Amino acid sequence: MRYDPPFHRSNGLTPAIAAIVVLAVFPLIFEASYLRHLMILAFVFAVVAASWDLSLGYGGLFNFAHVALFAVGIYTYGILAKTFGLNPWLAVLAAGPVAMIFAAAVALPVLRLDGIYVILVTIAFSQLIYQIIISQSQITGGTSGMVTLPPLSVDGYRFVKDGKIGYYYTGLVLLVAACIFLHLTVRSRVGRAIVALRDNKYYAISRGVAEGRTRLQTLCASALFTGIAGGFYGSYVRVASPDIFGLGSLALLLSILLVGGAGTIWGPVMAAFAITLLSEAIADLGAWRNIITALLIIVVMVFYPGGLWGLTQELREAAAVALSSLRARRRRRVLRMAREERLRTAERMIRTRYGAVAVADSGPATGQSGPPILMLHGNSACKEAFLHQFAAFRDNHRVIAFDLPGHGASDNADPEETYNVPAYADVAEDVLTELEVECPVVLGWSLGGYVALELTARAPSAYAGLAITGTSPLNVVPDDFARGYDPDSHVVLAGKQFLTLAEQKRFAGSATVPLSPESAFLHENFDRTDGRTRYYMITKLSVVDWPRQMRMLRAGAIPFAVLNGADDPFLDHAYIAGLPYGSLWTGAPCDVEEGAHAPFFNRPDAFNTAFSRFLQEGCCQRESSR
Amino acid sequence: MISLDTILIVTSGGLVLGAIYALMASGLAVVWTTLGIFNFAHGAFIAAGAYIGWQIAHADASGLGLVAGTLGTLLAMFVFGVLFHIALVRPFERRANIVAASVITTLAGATVIENVINLIWGPRSKQIGRMLDGDFSLGPIALSMNDLALVVIVVATLGLVGWFLGATRTGRSMRAVAQNREAAELMGLDVPRLYAAAFGLSAAMAGLAGIFIGSIRFMTPTMGADPLMKALIVVIFGGVARFTSPIYAALIIGMVEAFSTYFVGLYWTPAVLFALMMVVLVLKPAGLFGKHQRTL
Repeated sequence: MRYDPPFHRSNGLTPAIAAIVVLAVFPLIFEASYLRHLMILAFVFAVVAASWDLSLGYGGLFNFAHVALFAVGIYTYGILAKTFGLNPWLAVLAAGPVAMIFAAAVALPVLRLDGIYVILVTIAFSQLIYQIIISQSQITGGTSGMVTLPPLSVDGYRFVKDGKIGYYYTGLVLLVAACIFLHLTVRSRVGRAIVALRDNKYYAISRGVAEGRTRLQTLCASALFTGIAGGFYGSYVRVASPDIFGLGSLALLLSILLVGGAGTIWGPVMAAFAITLLSEAIADLGAWRNIITALLIIVVMVFYPGGLWGLTQELREAAAVALSSLRARRRRRVLRMAREERLRTAERMIRTRYGAVAVADSGPATGQSGPPILMLHGNSACKEAFLHQFAAFRDNHRVIAFDLPGHGASDNADPEETYNVPAYADVAEDVLTELEVECPVVLGWSLGGYVALELTARAPSAYAGLAITGTSPLNVVPDDFARGYDPDSHVVLAGKQFLTLAEQKRFAGSATVPLSPESAFLHENFDRTDGRTRYYMITKLSVVDWPRQMRMLRAGAIPFAVLNGADDPFLDHAYIAGLPYGSLWTGAPCDVEEGAHAPFFNRPDAFNTAFSRFLQEGCCQRESSR
Repeated sequence: MISLDTILIVTSGGLVLGAIYALMASGLAVVWTTLGIFNFAHGAFIAAGAYIGWQIAHADASGLGLVAGTLGTLLAMFVFGVLFHIALVRPFERRANIVAASVITTLAGATVIENVINLIWGPRSKQIGRMLDGDFSLGPIALSMNDLALVVIVVATLGLVGWFLGATRTGRSMRAVAQNREAAELMGLDVPRLYAAAFGLSAAMAGLAGIFIGSIRFMTPTMGADPLMKALIVVIFGGVARFTSPIYAALIIGMVEAFSTYFVGLYWTPAVLFALMMVVLVLKPAGLFGKHQRTL
């Protein structure tokens, strides 16, 4: 199951465009040549550090010769443009492939090495290049380096003029191009292989990832823009000096990478600007400058390994959580009437062990008295999804539904403790205890179906019946996931914390019903739902006692009905029908004709008829057999 | 035509080099084998030891003499190594990325040490001065007394460390931890304390090497960079299968360097050494005398 939307359909599009616009406008506002100089350096360092992250962060391959590859780019530019008089633009571009050749030369000795040995060989390699450059003074200028390299120009317009404006925009284009290249590489088949080798080498190899070839590709891909950035840097500072091999530039680039956050492209890019400006701000401090930089690296490594990127993600999460809390409060205060109108039922807040939840309770039945019904809603939905059931069953049953924590009008709760299926079942128990409901029939939809299975499996005899809809019982998780569900991107969306607007629309459309005036309130739930509920629910599936649910179903310990939609876009009906059930009502799943993932909403009459028959026949049989 | 005298002179030069390399490399190897990490601050430790020694011993500073300087340096560097371990390496213990994380923190630590030295003692080069004056000659072999004393002290020190690791309870505990941390822990060994002790021992050995280097060359705050690279070559070349492996390797590397400098030239010697090291790493990653298991 793979879901990987292209960049223009991901959450990154808006910030990326905003960043490019800001950087493009920047020199028009700030005309100080020195500030532009710093920005040009930041562009170069961002490209080099982000490229380095491909091998170090994504690949887990500690290539300490990366700075040497940058130096190779500089010297290539110097030799081609000055010694051979090649067009400077061509020389800049040629620096990329030359650096790739050197990267391939680094890759050969480390193809089969691991861990610390990779670090040692690459350091040795980098020293080897350094020694060669030092010793070949007739070509490279030896320890004094090469000076007065040709600058970049177009039609005689020297790029350093007008406050280096030409270099500024060339650097920006270089950065954008490098980011696009790295992003595409990471998303490509090779990129997946790189990450797979890092995460589980032997599993990746056994699945057909060629270790040696992938390492070669990793290092070459990370060298391409590093070399070009080196060529551009050479054309800008117009010096190729062996000083670049020193610990200073290693520490600078490494700190950009780590402070930004390893394993991301954008972290090092952000950090390049922060660190270049910071290191310039404290430039007057002499030795203290290096000490502060080094201490910064140590502090980040020890206390904040996620770096700037991790910080951004945490801020983003905090903002999203705060926003969803605000929306929940607004729902409680302002929108309560509309909700109660929808269910024609008063809402009350009930305090559970995981915070307060909003409960709708239709109260004692007025007509013929059937068992009470507890309804559990699905992922990113709310209790009002069951409005047709409230209307149909309230006369003969006590109908109860509540918003799961993090959904609807309920509180957001501690994600680690609360946003998982067993905790939701705890909440349901608390609600039933508070309302003094005994022996209810539980109807669970999708995620709520798993909550219902978990809840009833704890004490099957305490419930009059169990009906699931939009749910596939699972035996072995996650293996059965692929069998119970059509392998579809929606399973990924169901666990994705931050959905884009397009994803929300798509997911809401297929998980509930397509957008219409009637279903608009279900679509609005995505703005309110705490995104962490999706992420934690999916990642904590393993804390559920799945075999216990299956044992209950196999033993027929509870009257059980499957009321899926016949046209459910996610479920694999053959798998569900083939499971061993001890007592399945009617002996087979009762699929609702033309019902989608929420058949009780899009085909309420057919669903209610079936559910009503289950309430009368299925659950009554149990009472008579007692 | 190369005369026998030339060979002997070059050999004795190689011997002195090899002795210093052996001291540096076995200090580096103590940390590598016990903790499984590479300490990039080892070169900075050497510089710190040299400056502390200068501060205590040199007439321009405290002027307490070389013996006091050496002992003071050993003690100070041991404490420093322990603190360094607690601050920069221990936070990553038991983390999956300890190798990478400690590379980065020790590099950063090295930067801090170098710059602090720069702040305290300034960038101007200093020299501790020779331990002994005069020359020593035995037949065609001629060494300065200083070099001879250096070789003798290195041999004695390495012998002492070897005895410590092989015969004392603490030393044997350190070897046990190096071989199998979990088993050693189950046997009741205090692993964090032994790790700290290994770091302290390594730092003290680096300090001694620093004093030797300070006695024959000029000291600068960045004087550790070159010895670190040499120690790296030696450790990789020889592997760390036994305590003695880096010592043999140091002698070989010292000889190769001496002969290469004489016959190939000063500029090409580092390249020759790094190329040699890469060949060894590719063909035998565990080193020339290496086995797969880490041990001390």
